[in-house]
Amino acid sequence: MIEITETVARSSKKTVAVAPSDVAQIGIVAKYDVLKYLRSRRLLGMVAIVVLIILLITALPPLLGESYPDGADAFMNMYAGYVALLVIVGATLFAGDAIVSEFQNRTGYLLFPKPVKRWVLLAGKFLASMAAMFLVLLVYYAIVLALGLVTTGGFSALGVESLVLAMLYSVAALSVGFLISSIMKGITGAQILTFALFLFIFTIVTGVLTLGGVEPWFVVTYSGGTIGYITQDPYPTSGPATGVGPGGMAPGGLTSSYFPDVGVAIAVMAAYALISLVLAYYFFSRREMSA
Amino acid sequence: MSEPIRIENLTKNFNGLRAVDSLNLLVKKKSFMGFLGPNGAGKTTTIKILTNLLTPSGGAAYLNGVDVTKDPKAALTNVGTVVETPEFYPYLTPNETLAYMGELHGMTRGDIKQRTREVLETVKMTEWTDKRIGKFSKGMKQRIAIAQALLHEPSVVILDEPTSGLDPRGMVEVREILDDLHNEDYTVLMSSHLLAEVQQVCTDVALINRGQLLRSGPVDELTASTNLRRLEIRTVHETPEVLLAKISQLGGVSGLEPLGPRDFGLSLAGGDKAQADLLTQMQNLGLKVISFKESGVALENLYMSLIKETR
Repeated sequence: MIEITETVARSSKKTVAVAPSDVAQIGIVAKYDVLKYLRSRRLLGMVAIVVLIILLITALPPLLGESYPDGADAFMNMYAGYVALLVIVGATLFAGDAIVSEFQNRTGYLLFPKPVKRWVLLAGKFLASMAAMFLVLLVYYAIVLALGLVTTGGFSALGVESLVLAMLYSVAALSVGFLISSIMKGITGAQILTFALFLFIFTIVTGVLTLGGVEPWFVVTYSGGTIGYITQDPYPTSGPATGVGPGGMAPGGLTSSYFPDVGVAIAVMAAYALISLVLAYYFFSRREMSA
Repeated sequence: MSEPIRIENLTKNFNGLRAVDSLNLLVKKKSFMGFLGPNGAGKTTTIKILTNLLTPSGGAAYLNGVDVTKDPKAALTNVGTVVETPEFYPYLTPNETLAYMGELHGMTRGDIKQRTREVLETVKMTEWTDKRIGKFSKGMKQRIAIAQALLHEPSVVILDEPTSGLDPRGMVEVREILDDLHNEDYTVLMSSHLLAEVQQVCTDVALINRGQLLRSGPVDELTASTNLRRLEIRTVHETPEVLLAKISQLGGVSGLEPLGPRDFGLSLAGGDKAQADLLTQMQNLGLKVISFKESGVALENLYMSLIKETR
């Protein structure tokens, strides 16, 4: 009987080890982090949430016996208000554990001794989280715009503006998530803090400031409100109002209504994105694998 | 500055505790250096500094002539590492993990494919190439860790206790891989607690304690220079304390300690003749010796004597 065994022919020539450029390495890191989102089903989970939100918003008016708005922009406005929530969940899933997991899961022992700079790792991971988040937003807006086209017969140009603002808000939220992830010791803590910061803490700060008669223009979630308001035509303006505005009821029964200025909101979101990312790099680059 | 690994006055403090204290070490080209020391000696801290996992408080560490703290990317390009049994991305297979690491090292697709087959064969993981690592045992992960360290054919390999935590079979398998490394063109720095393993595999050894280098050099030279061996003696009858006291006062004898009712151990300075003379002297004292044997390995004797000296 003849036994056949497969043997691997050893390469006689040594591999020339020249690490690729930083830019090329950013792409490599991003590629494998996107694979993480795909394999861990986070991306799939987010798309499922998108579908669920759209189904709920679309199904509720007919179930309550109400009709859809006539205009495409008004139709988009029904959905745009929930995008901020989607961004918060996305930031929690895509950014909350991005850095801290390398330390807590000990994968840093594999990755950090490689010839790759910390800022390259951060940039690659951030790009991957951005790609995942943008994909989720694009799916959401594509479905809603298509629904609006079918339902109202018109295309919402303001919906596209809303998408751009949503993308900017998501970059700011991801940056804050990366900052938290680069500071926190545990994955769960980082994810909870990211979620709570956007859903509760910023919202409470906004409410308190509004009650005090101070416009919370510097709070990123307040700026994120532009995602929904931009689809209103005309864009709502701040000032004394008879109805209850986004800031809630002021003391003494007077209502105060503040609506973020789009230009200021863009600047605030960009500032959050930039400053948080710089700080994230500062902490990540100094963090040691001491445990 | 052509040495593969050069450590100069390396110091690392953790909240006032000095883990590495002005350490100097040189690892010559194509040598296999064992890095020994008791727990807390500073071995892992030194290796972590060398592999860009920790930042030193002072001094410098060079890999192939490049300061790892100043230019880690250049310093680590031609280096393979296994530090503290790394964890892997559970959603990747060994093939994908090695592709990721190979791409970061700048290997071409063809090289990655070829070398992946080779290193996975080396670590006996060819049957698991497309299974996700998340479900692998610690031993399997350790083998993948060694595979990724060798993937890009680095000139320098740094291993931190590569057999730590493995079952006996896993230890034997990893030791076989280390033996293979010994026969190839790598320069290896390996920390270990297993002195027999180090003596078997390494050409050179560096002993550290309290963050300071105690001794370094070729294993043969160091073991020959120890002139100290540990002996275990078993007798027919229980040895009275008076007799043990007399034996402890014999020339060259130190560290006598009872190991059981009829067993005791001692350290003896001197060579073969001193050992033969001791047996004769003990018999002259009326001791009926059943067994008279050297225990441990020469390196262990050196290790123990140096550690005791620094306490």
